[in-house]
Amino acid sequence: MDHLAEVRQFVRETVADFGGSKRVSDDLVQACDEAICNVMLHGYRGKPGDIDVEAQLRDRRIEIRILDRTPTFDPTTAPKRDADTLPAPTRIGGMGLGIELLRTLTDEVHHSARPDGGNELTLVRSIDSPTQEE
Amino acid sequence: MAMTIDVEHLGGNPPVTVVALAGELDASNYEQVIDVVRTAYAEGSRGLVMDLSELTFMASSGLFAMHSAVRIMRGETPPDPEEGWGALHQMAQDQDAQASNVRLAAAQEPIARVLDRTGMLRLFALDATRADAVAAVQGA
Repeated sequence: MDHLAEVRQFVRETVADFGGSKRVSDDLVQACDEAICNVMLHGYRGKPGDIDVEAQLRDRRIEIRILDRTPTFDPTTAPKRDADTLPAPTRIGGMGLGIELLRTLTDEVHHSARPDGGNELTLVRSIDSPTQEE
Repeated sequence: MAMTIDVEHLGGNPPVTVVALAGELDASNYEQVIDVVRTAYAEGSRGLVMDLSELTFMASSGLFAMHSAVRIMRGETPPDPEEGWGALHQMAQDQDAQASNVRLAAAQEPIARVLDRTGMLRLFALDATRADAVAAVQGA
């Protein structure tokens, strides 16, 4: 949990290095924090575990990859606004608003299972998108 | 960046507590905010102003803390974070009842945006300044 602030700082610095606006940076910082909290909450269920965060700029799109070693779970297939049917997670950092919030903060969210176990969640945001209101 | 919490109890009717948050409100510290509000209510405060002027980041756990504050100041039990998604659902259900005795003040733009995006502004009034928020809670 103490590493959340480090990850946010990493995202802020990386987006700035890529030349992204504060708005893009704010949104990606919020999205990464949310995604990582969800991994801690639903994936590791409060137990310590590895989460790696990588960022790259490709075709004017910022891609942030969040890698974990938890059982395969694809949040992008989670039913929309169907909170009652989801299992209550073990407490760790309060609750996450999950995939709904990630979708409003990014242009695309992709999931893939890692071949050697775990999940790879990729958050994509165009560096040129000035605003993205619903 | 850590978060600091500055608490000020004001007199008047109703007695108001101003909680000023500075830094980043996230999963590591949101429970501190709930504790501060719980204590304020126990000590007699019936109005609450969250001064967000120095807050630079609010995670969804922070939104949960804001919602818990509304419940506490209504004299209700706040949702248990153990309930996870159930608590989120409850938060969504609560949207039609805007609190009159809990107000947020001076939120920076990214925080105002996340409050708006998540529908939380239906729960709280957001005032431009701390003084405006205190005056509104006290019906001035």
